Amino acid sequence: MDISNLKEIAQYTLSCLKKHGADDAQCKVGHSVADEINIDAGEFSLMRSTFNNSISMLVIKDMKKGTIVINKFDKESIDAAAKECVENASVSAEDDCLSIAPVEGNEDFSYGVGESDRDKFFDRINEYMENLSKDYPKVFVEQLIAEYCDGKSVFANTNGVEFSNQSAYYSMSSMYSAHDGDKTTSFNSTGIDFVDLDKKILDMGTQRMMYELCEKELDAVPFEGKFTGTAVFAPSCLGDIIGTAIGSFTTDSSIIDNTSPWRKSLGTQVADNSLSVSLIPIDPRVVGGERYTAEGYKTKNCDIIKNGVLESFCLSEYGARKSGEKRCSTLSGCMEVHAGETPYNALISKIDKGILVCRLSGGSPAGNGDFSGVAKNSFLIENGKITKPVLETMISGNLADMMKNITDISKETAEDGSCVYPWVAFDGVTVSGK
Amino acid sequence: MLNDLISKHIADVSDYTEIRTQIDTNCGISIVSGNLVGNSRVTASGISARVYKNGVYGFSSVGEYSDESVKAVLNAARDNALFLDRRVNKNKPALYDAPVVNYTDTTKIVDVPQKLLLDFAKELDDYIANKYPDLSSRSVMIRCDSSERLLHVSTGSSAYSVSPRSCIYVDMSAEANDGSNVELFEVMDCARGYFTDVFTSPDALYDKIEELYQKLMAKKEGVFSEAGVCDCIIDSSIAGMIAHEAVGHTVEADLVLAGSVAATNLGKQVASDKITIIDYAHTAFGKTVPLPVYVDDEGTPCEDAVLIENGILTGYMNNKESAVHFGMKPCGNARAHSFDDEPLVRMRNTAILPGTDRLEDMIASIDNGYYLTKTQNGQADTTGEFMFGITMGYEIKNGKLGRAIRDTTISGVAFETLKTVDMLSDELHWACSGYCGKKQPMAVSDGGPAVKCKINIGGR
Repeated sequence: MDISNLKEIAQYTLSCLKKHGADDAQCKVGHSVADEINIDAGEFSLMRSTFNNSISMLVIKDMKKGTIVINKFDKESIDAAAKECVENASVSAEDDCLSIAPVEGNEDFSYGVGESDRDKFFDRINEYMENLSKDYPKVFVEQLIAEYCDGKSVFANTNGVEFSNQSAYYSMSSMYSAHDGDKTTSFNSTGIDFVDLDKKILDMGTQRMMYELCEKELDAVPFEGKFTGTAVFAPSCLGDIIGTAIGSFTTDSSIIDNTSPWRKSLGTQVADNSLSVSLIPIDPRVVGGERYTAEGYKTKNCDIIKNGVLESFCLSEYGARKSGEKRCSTLSGCMEVHAGETPYNALISKIDKGILVCRLSGGSPAGNGDFSGVAKNSFLIENGKITKPVLETMISGNLADMMKNITDISKETAEDGSCVYPWVAFDGVTVSGK
Repeated sequence: MLNDLISKHIADVSDYTEIRTQIDTNCGISIVSGNLVGNSRVTASGISARVYKNGVYGFSSVGEYSDESVKAVLNAARDNALFLDRRVNKNKPALYDAPVVNYTDTTKIVDVPQKLLLDFAKELDDYIANKYPDLSSRSVMIRCDSSERLLHVSTGSSAYSVSPRSCIYVDMSAEANDGSNVELFEVMDCARGYFTDVFTSPDALYDKIEELYQKLMAKKEGVFSEAGVCDCIIDSSIAGMIAHEAVGHTVEADLVLAGSVAATNLGKQVASDKITIIDYAHTAFGKTVPLPVYVDDEGTPCEDAVLIENGILTGYMNNKESAVHFGMKPCGNARAHSFDDEPLVRMRNTAILPGTDRLEDMIASIDNGYYLTKTQNGQADTTGEFMFGITMGYEIKNGKLGRAIRDTTISGVAFETLKTVDMLSDELHWACSGYCGKKQPMAVSDGGPAVKCKINIGGR
């Protein structure tokens, strides 16, 4: 079928699903063209261009669900997949909470630049490497992936919902470490999404701060001993704490099976009243974002925690029906932890003994929120000052408790095109070393 | 079987070129506390080409497989290589000239009906629900993945392979006395093969489910580990993580070039002389390894890569480009995940070789420490610093197993931790249920004996 008419492909897919016996059906048709430049071990290594198609189908038949994903747009493949999807639903389990979205107003969205400028893109990446080498000579880029992606998608269902979206923008992620003679640091990573090539990429976001810290990590020493104190999580890893807590305690799985420690906490205080967290896929600070949800509802930003009070679970429509709670208007990962009132330097100066964590290497937390992990690219805080970089340092705590033990949130925030995070200080975190 | 539309085009190329077509299928069933939340089948197929030019690669892929699409990706990959070569002018030498190989896998492709997977999962879930009503939640997951691929390389090598893998996972949680929810996850089984090759009937898994339940009950009463460095025994079921995370990644040649700790340690003692670590290609100890690879995605015939021998760092895992750089022979470690992925240096079946000690003697040798038996995940650093999430373990007090412990994390620096190894059990346990993440996911296996070492453990 004509790749330039995704709406036609979507409607054809729905007609096939209905023909094969679907009661209700939805599909998402996507086509993307991407250019990618890779740098490995500090040198340009690969230029990639990829052309990808996909159709995700979902069928409800006799209140039973089947899903299938293919990457072909020819009628024969679509028809065969639709038939298989309905067959999968037929043998599935009945569930009276299954549904598809109602029509609330169809819309076409577009975002970003229309066409990649490959030469200018390369020049900006080359400039990035030259700037990095000049300004942070001890930093070594282990791998850098820069991508321009132009993605088009159409969502449609048999209720008549139809959304389309075209989103085209650039992104860059860098994995790096610092080296000086025999001294070497842990790797760290930074990344940024951006719409155009008008600015120097190194000047975007908090990259310069990250590279500056990396060079300072060359003097890191193993931490010895153990204490319970304040852990300040930098924007680069705040998502590992607050994002993980939201993901573990408010989403479908832990709410449906009633294992979330916040299951009965809607409308109550779950965090210090300084904490407010929102999902912001539609925000000028977010690049790309989300315009319609995976279930076919128009996306709206949503407050999850406001002044410490749990305002909303992050539930899909299915999760909402299953648990008797409300659907969240977005499940996008674009998160804002709202800025506090304390300047970053003042936040650090208040801490007697603590750790500034810039990367957390750890497993998923236990169901009750217990977690432990290795504090990477991190610094000891003593008597109000960042004193030395540390190695081999474990931190542990409980995510639910930590949300209540927030002592400060910085005024400054960092934006990477996806999330907006400040620096947040949590009390009562166990720090242990050798 | 994939039709060969490639070979006639590969004959026309002038630069070093790989063309690969794949059909990848993933089937998943997921039942959470009786609710069927996942019943999916994902198929992705297409073609890609990669062209090498003076030290840079051009790559292109498209989700169609036809004469036209082969020509299109070849042209785009060549144009990309020319673009980058013109802009960076690296002028590097030709790739390693690996022996020509033509390999054809005879594995028969089986299309397992989704209903069979669903019925199997439902029966397991019903059994768990009836037998263990005191659980606060339960999940049964089935995952089957399969990759059929055809590769042609301009050097004359070609390979047709089929790699199916089937796994069942069960997760249980129960409420502890303190009101918290305690969870335990177990791979019931995972092996190369289609579902019907690996699994016969649900009741064959009942003993393992009972074992999981009993461990969860012990964990429910578990205590928090004491944070700090102590003697630990890492059970054979998870010791492969050390081979993979702590050592394996640091000796992948692309990461060595990126400055990993292995760059300055080749030929040096990096571990106790009891430690030998090998990345096996397809056969170990006279048996086929869990996920055999015979020809890699650059068309190099696969051989075992010896990484550490009696404590000495002896080699890296290479692709054709890094092999030239280091003057080593590539052993077939260049692997790509999907049709639209380029080959990267990846592990295959990486294992610590077993020793001669009995597990009981190892436990008896520790006055105060931990026996760690389940891991959730692991991460490694190019410095060799690694961490694993631990989801099950026991105290060891005065040479005897004590109380179970709650979830924690262990960490260490590979080449320091491995020097503290003083006992290795006489068994070898392989695990192949996971994916390794490094730009692309990759099915890998790892193995090892129980390992006694000093390690940093998290805790309250």
